Amino acid sequence: MSAKRPIDGLFSRRALIAAGGGTAVFGGLIARLFQLQIMEHERFEVAAAENGVRLDLAPPQRGRILDRFGRPLAAHRQAGRVSIVREQANDLPGLMAELSKHLDISPERQARLISDARRQASFQPVTVKSELSYEDFSRLSVLAPSLPGVQVEMASTRSYPRGRDFAHVLGYVAKASETDLERLSEDTNAQERAAIRRLFKHPDMRTGRSGVERYAEDWLRGEAGFRKLETNAAGRIIREFDDPSLAPKSGRDLYLTVDAELQKFAIDRFGSESGAAVVLDIETGDILAFVSTPAFDPNDFVNGISSKDYAVLRDDVEYSPLYHKAYDGTYPPGSTFKMVVAAAALEAGVINPNERVYCPGHYRFGNNTWHCWKKRGHGSVNMHWAIKGSCDVYFYEIAKRLGIESLADMGRRFGFGQRWDLGLHGGRSGVMPDDAWKRAARGEPWYEGETLNIGIGQGQVSTSPLQLAVMSARIAAEGKIITPRIIGDGPRPDADIPFDKPLDPEIMQRMKAGMYGVTSEAGGTALRSGDLGLGGPRLAGKTGTSQVRRISAAERATGILKGENIDRRLRDHALFVAYAPHDDPKYAISVVVEHGEGGSKAAAPVARDIIAEALRIDARRSPTYLRTASTGSSTGSGAR
Amino acid sequence: MATMRASSLDFSRRSLWTQLGALPWGLILMICAMAMIGVAILHSATFTNPEEAGLPMRQATRFGVALGVLLVAGLVPIRWWFWAAWPSYLATLVLLVAVEFFGTTGGGAQRWLQIGPVAVQPSEFMKVTLTLALAAYYHKRWSDFSGGFMIHLPALALIALPAALIFRQPDFGTTLALFASGGILIFLAGLWWRVIMAIGVAAIASVPAIYFFVLQDYQRERVDTYVAQLTGQSVNVMDDGYQIEQAKIAIGSGGWTGKGYMEGTQSQLDYIPEQHTDFILTVLAEEFGFLVTSGVLILWMVILGLGLAIALRAASLFARFAAAGAVATVTFYILFNVAMVLGLVPVVGVPLPLLSYGGTVMITTAGCFGLVCAAHLGRNEPLNTGA
Repeated sequence: MSAKRPIDGLFSRRALIAAGGGTAVFGGLIARLFQLQIMEHERFEVAAAENGVRLDLAPPQRGRILDRFGRPLAAHRQAGRVSIVREQANDLPGLMAELSKHLDISPERQARLISDARRQASFQPVTVKSELSYEDFSRLSVLAPSLPGVQVEMASTRSYPRGRDFAHVLGYVAKASETDLERLSEDTNAQERAAIRRLFKHPDMRTGRSGVERYAEDWLRGEAGFRKLETNAAGRIIREFDDPSLAPKSGRDLYLTVDAELQKFAIDRFGSESGAAVVLDIETGDILAFVSTPAFDPNDFVNGISSKDYAVLRDDVEYSPLYHKAYDGTYPPGSTFKMVVAAAALEAGVINPNERVYCPGHYRFGNNTWHCWKKRGHGSVNMHWAIKGSCDVYFYEIAKRLGIESLADMGRRFGFGQRWDLGLHGGRSGVMPDDAWKRAARGEPWYEGETLNIGIGQGQVSTSPLQLAVMSARIAAEGKIITPRIIGDGPRPDADIPFDKPLDPEIMQRMKAGMYGVTSEAGGTALRSGDLGLGGPRLAGKTGTSQVRRISAAERATGILKGENIDRRLRDHALFVAYAPHDDPKYAISVVVEHGEGGSKAAAPVARDIIAEALRIDARRSPTYLRTASTGSSTGSGAR
Repeated sequence: MATMRASSLDFSRRSLWTQLGALPWGLILMICAMAMIGVAILHSATFTNPEEAGLPMRQATRFGVALGVLLVAGLVPIRWWFWAAWPSYLATLVLLVAVEFFGTTGGGAQRWLQIGPVAVQPSEFMKVTLTLALAAYYHKRWSDFSGGFMIHLPALALIALPAALIFRQPDFGTTLALFASGGILIFLAGLWWRVIMAIGVAAIASVPAIYFFVLQDYQRERVDTYVAQLTGQSVNVMDDGYQIEQAKIAIGSGGWTGKGYMEGTQSQLDYIPEQHTDFILTVLAEEFGFLVTSGVLILWMVILGLGLAIALRAASLFARFAAAGAVATVTFYILFNVAMVLGLVPVVGVPLPLLSYGGTVMITTAGCFGLVCAAHLGRNEPLNTGA
């Protein structure tokens, strides 16, 4: 040790003084603890347990989702719930046995509930059954006072009165998972995050997982409030104070542009087939029906779907009920694409509409042969005949003259290759291929031969049923820019529409004439579907077949396999696009029947019947949300 | 440098195992016990919420890491700490300035600095590096000079510089912590009593000025709530007053022995916000009662007392000041947190070391006790500064 410095003694003295001071403060804190815990114990014990005025978090009522005429598509219903509270129960297994006399509870579930109740704090309720029938609810309500430990109460649950009809459009709500919570608390500070977590922990709180429910979460959710409750020593609620300043604020209602009746008709019309249909109001772009079938029942998800039931939906890859085929599904457009090719050719001036192309049933380019669907050939056809007879050779020829760039450019002006942001979660852009796309996606340049495939809507090009409906509407409106929408009154997405160059009305009139020919003139491919059964007006449309597999030369020689001779999964998709009435278009439609094989046989009759129904019920008449005075909310803020 | 050679010889002579064995194990075991109590309370505070199910395990893992930090820091020779004092202080200061310009905001304050994949909070480092800097300063000062009032002014500047930067973030709790532990060191260095008195009077006199001109709105609100509940006025149950009131009910209803593990009605029903972080003591008090809670506080006093004893036994002034400063930092946390939870001081976000959920304070605490351990191992080294 070095020599003694004055500081050594000073430091020690001061350290002891500081230690004394610290000890005094510690002593003071322990004294304060004694004051609170021992001297004022009774007061606080009373405050904690007896006659407590409690503020319980009250979740807001989620806004409804309505169709264009105010019919509820997503609403709520009251459902009875029975739970047990260990603290109040004298004999838990006995109570469970008693309850199982009135409710169907498996012995495994009983054991599970008992162990849950024992693991939790004694005063916390454990839900036994959340969807009580009216009979069960009333019977248990009568019994509850004689069964200490049993709680019967009403709770509000999301319900989808139209079941499967709007599964993909609405999506569904579910209890917020950890992933949901992270998404919901994006861009929030610590305090907001804590509030969101606390709110979504509430047993009645749900969040949108897909569709409009997810997209419009902020619009629909509302704001949480509190219930001011007076409770007795056992925690039972004695009365509820009415305090409007604490009440939760319900979420806002949201109107869609769809017509629930037309939607139901369309789904029923599909029967057991899988497919998609989109009906548009040509004047406004309102989506009147947005069908993807088969579907699931969103009601099954609200209280959590069992993993077994979910697996059934998820693993059905052939009919894929979870998949929104009209928005997320993409298909080669087949011959429905021929109007795009023809329009591009006319605008580029590579062909005169009266020029004839000879179709011998096949087309040679380089060392390869391309086939027309009509083995014997169409003979010599001009553009009008080529459209109504769907001559492949004619379109090979003009596609070759056009080149892929002009073709793709026209496709994009019809809305292909871009995602329509409707305000639904999901939506695919499909592919409108060109040289740049192929270099980016495949790392290879575009080959001219591929242009021929695109000319008949096969190969790399892929489109969603929504895009096909928009194409059909833009033709029917003679080139007017039509933008689809499904949110009528609610948080609308920003309309961000690229490639909005209007189309030449004169060219569009020629396309319409061709589509009329398809359903109504000799040589048309869908003659049987032109009559709407309404007397005067007819349907104009175009058939299409979307190839699912490649046909080998050997198979072509022996005859292409069809129908019963081939596995369903390998059959072609049937497509049809149309508008009606032909002389004064009001509705545009696209229909895809998966593995339906022929557009004229499988898809066209479906499209005809749906559009006839739309005309019959006047689905496009002015929606409720425009008629009511309270449309001020339509200018409200959009959702994120 | 002669000392350099001596030190490396020194290090090779005593094996790592010998060093490890010479650590103050009684102290370390008590720290471990305290952390285990923390994990157990955390389990009770969080188990009703399945989303918080992983927190106790995560806290235990963090303590494992913190224990590693403590042991490594403790085995670092005291002269290395001495050499590192100034560079580390300056480096932390640079980081604090960097926060001012490039910091990221979290919870309303700009505290974090993103360096590659890790986010660091330089204000936390400062608690340790300021102690080191002050210790190094007084070590040098008292070796060639014998006191006087003026020697404390540079020390005050050493505290005020980082404190001002941290106050701007704003982080009131850490600012207070720096002034409190730094002030203790100035006190230990022999600041004259008459100056201490003068400062005390000035501090009391400046309270109104601080309230009106220095505090931000939300901080002022907390002080208002605090005064209101102290004087027994009814406070708005929806605001901060709610938290204090519910905390008092939880603590008060605990009684002598508490309501039993995981049976606290207040704690389990989520009455108390932040009950697994800053307000963890309410869970302990409600479920285990007065006897256990005061026992935990006494265990803390023993841990801190052992730390102070190490400071008093060290030969070099640096080791003495460094260990005392480290103990002072942890002491401040505990006293302030407990006083806050008991409704004696305004609610300022100060966690309870080793008991509150959170990684930052855990590591700071481990660093502080690591420094104490280093002072223990190096207690016989004089650390002459080349005089």
